[in-house]
Amino acid sequence: MNFLSFLIENLETFLTYTGFANVTPGHIVMILVGLFFIYLAIAHEFEPMLLIPIGFGILIGNIPFKDAGLQLGIYEEGSVLNILYQGVTQGWYPPLIFLGIGAMTDFSALISNPKLMLIGAAAQFGIFGAYILAMWMDFEPNQAAAIGIIGGADGPTAIFLSSKLAPNLMGAIAISAYSYMALVPVIQPPLMRLFTTKKERVIRMKSPRAVSQTEKIIFPIAGLLLTCFLVPSGLPLLGMLFFGNLLKESGVTRRLAETARGPLIDTITIVLGITVGASTQATQFLTWDSTKIFGLGALSFIMATAAGVVFVKFFNLFLKEGNKINPLIGNAGVSAVPDSARISQIIGLEYDPTNYLLMHAMGPNVAGVIGSAVAAGILLGFLS
Amino acid sequence: MKKYKIILGLSMMFTFLTGMQAQRAAFLRFNEVLVINRDNFMDDYGQKHPWVEIYNSSPGTVNIGGCYLTTDMNNPKMYPVPKGDVLTKIRPYQHVLFWADNNPSRGTFHVNFTLYAEKSNFLALFDSDGRTLIDSITVPTGQRADVSYGLVNDGWDQKRLAEEIKLNSLYKGGDKLWVYYDGQIPPGMTKSREVTPSSNNVILDTNEKVENFKENDSNGIGMTITAMGVVFIALIILYLVFKQVGKTAVSLSRQRAMKASGLSKEQAKEHASESGEIYAVIAMAIYEATESVHDDENTVLTIKNVARNYSPWSSKIYSLRELPKK
Repeated sequence: MNFLSFLIENLETFLTYTGFANVTPGHIVMILVGLFFIYLAIAHEFEPMLLIPIGFGILIGNIPFKDAGLQLGIYEEGSVLNILYQGVTQGWYPPLIFLGIGAMTDFSALISNPKLMLIGAAAQFGIFGAYILAMWMDFEPNQAAAIGIIGGADGPTAIFLSSKLAPNLMGAIAISAYSYMALVPVIQPPLMRLFTTKKERVIRMKSPRAVSQTEKIIFPIAGLLLTCFLVPSGLPLLGMLFFGNLLKESGVTRRLAETARGPLIDTITIVLGITVGASTQATQFLTWDSTKIFGLGALSFIMATAAGVVFVKFFNLFLKEGNKINPLIGNAGVSAVPDSARISQIIGLEYDPTNYLLMHAMGPNVAGVIGSAVAAGILLGFLS
Repeated sequence: MKKYKIILGLSMMFTFLTGMQAQRAAFLRFNEVLVINRDNFMDDYGQKHPWVEIYNSSPGTVNIGGCYLTTDMNNPKMYPVPKGDVLTKIRPYQHVLFWADNNPSRGTFHVNFTLYAEKSNFLALFDSDGRTLIDSITVPTGQRADVSYGLVNDGWDQKRLAEEIKLNSLYKGGDKLWVYYDGQIPPGMTKSREVTPSSNNVILDTNEKVENFKENDSNGIGMTITAMGVVFIALIILYLVFKQVGKTAVSLSRQRAMKASGLSKEQAKEHASESGEIYAVIAMAIYEATESVHDDENTVLTIKNVARNYSPWSSKIYSLRELPKK
């Protein structure tokens, strides 16, 4: 009899440790969000490289458990997830991602037509538009800046800046940034149609000229020196971006470039995605602030896209006939490489099946990456 | 010749690395000194002595072990800070406190000199070579009991103070680098200056930059205009530079074309600004011609039996395990 009661007692204790005993409505909501992300990635192929790790990370982060010092949760010091999460909190995953992005990006389109850089600058208005709105919603300036960077449509930059300026909001900001990046094919096309006329959508742009290797080598060196002398606080991101690009373009470090754009970026993407997802524990994540951040994130994407498209229309007023830019590439200024450039191509082909905008859109697209890193550097310099 | 180059390279690297080490110790600063300790901070032995606080003004950890503290410029190696004590590693923007009790047997942080209330006290910190002066301070005579003499802001020097006064209109710390921490509120300031052994001289409880933005740019318009301006300037500079680089590249390409194939200036200009698409098409055509389209196939169709000589190395009998027979 004693033995039986001992067994029952142990079983009862064990049951208190199970997820079923500790589950809350918040956990269920977050698990559904995680499943939705996985569904979007598999069924609609929306940014699967990001949404699968993040979605699964959300599931991992929201398995309910009893806090018994077992070092399980991502916020428990010394747990495996916590150790992996250091790369996010200390901000060293994003620069490594930028290294890989640099090593896989061809800046030829931008070098051959450098005026497209200005579109990348204009689209950063999304960041500061969201900053104004966040200030209006009573967020602190540092929090508003971290929220605004969602409009840069650049996940690593968003994580980097929020880990420095508003670590408590980082989970919501990262999830929001990646979600809207995945939803670029849904958010951008209606805005692109809204702000352009049929005539503008069929503008044909000059083919970009062939760019010499010397120019490609000069670009990352000059890019680093010029941007980082102006905004040194952008150094971690811009330094690694341009370094990765030099590895690619120098032609003598092929193995390093291949590692940076292959195994390295893949490894970091996996750990970054899974830990960012796991950081959304219901207790930390389901707050009124998170809801506001999601709303502001959507608005920042809308403003960034609109600003890019409208800026091209404005810019065209000063350009000669034959040199005009198709405003459908304005949306690509928001970064989200290369999805937003792909959207320009798809929408462009809808109106003229022989007008290929992809290479032209890659110009503002990569300029957007530089622009958002510069913007992050400015915000960091002003508010950290 | 090659050997000399390697030796030169290695010696340059050595000089650079030792220079870096010295540079790191150079970030140490005398930060706060209390000469008359009547009712202030106590040491581990429960006793009150004069103390000297040293601050690491760098963003990296600095080991003060091996450096020298002295009160006499003619005897720079008066107190060697012991090496091998983990506590001598000062974390970024943190402090260590030395007790001037003339009793070094009590531990690493008890020095072999003391400070005198009746006269001025000179203090110097030398690097591990015993020759390079890192920082020095003369604490003036007339010190009051339990009132410390410290830098107006942790780790600042005269240059930094001048910069702050010039750039920051809100700076209210006055024009003195060293001030008395006597518990009084200085004119124009809201906080009193308290004695702070092993702690920041100015305790930060808010982010000044964030507070400034909250106060002066509550709607975010100023930030938006400034930051968008900087983003545009950064990319306009890049645009101008690469516009020029592009022009130069096209011009060089034109000159090369003229030289190589005797083209006229106009023909060469056209050639230099050809789109990459043309090259892509040419490359594709060459590839197709040489790789994909070919008349001679590698495989041979035949009705003849293919004769293969028997070899036990390729025999299946020897490579498959036989099942046990009953």
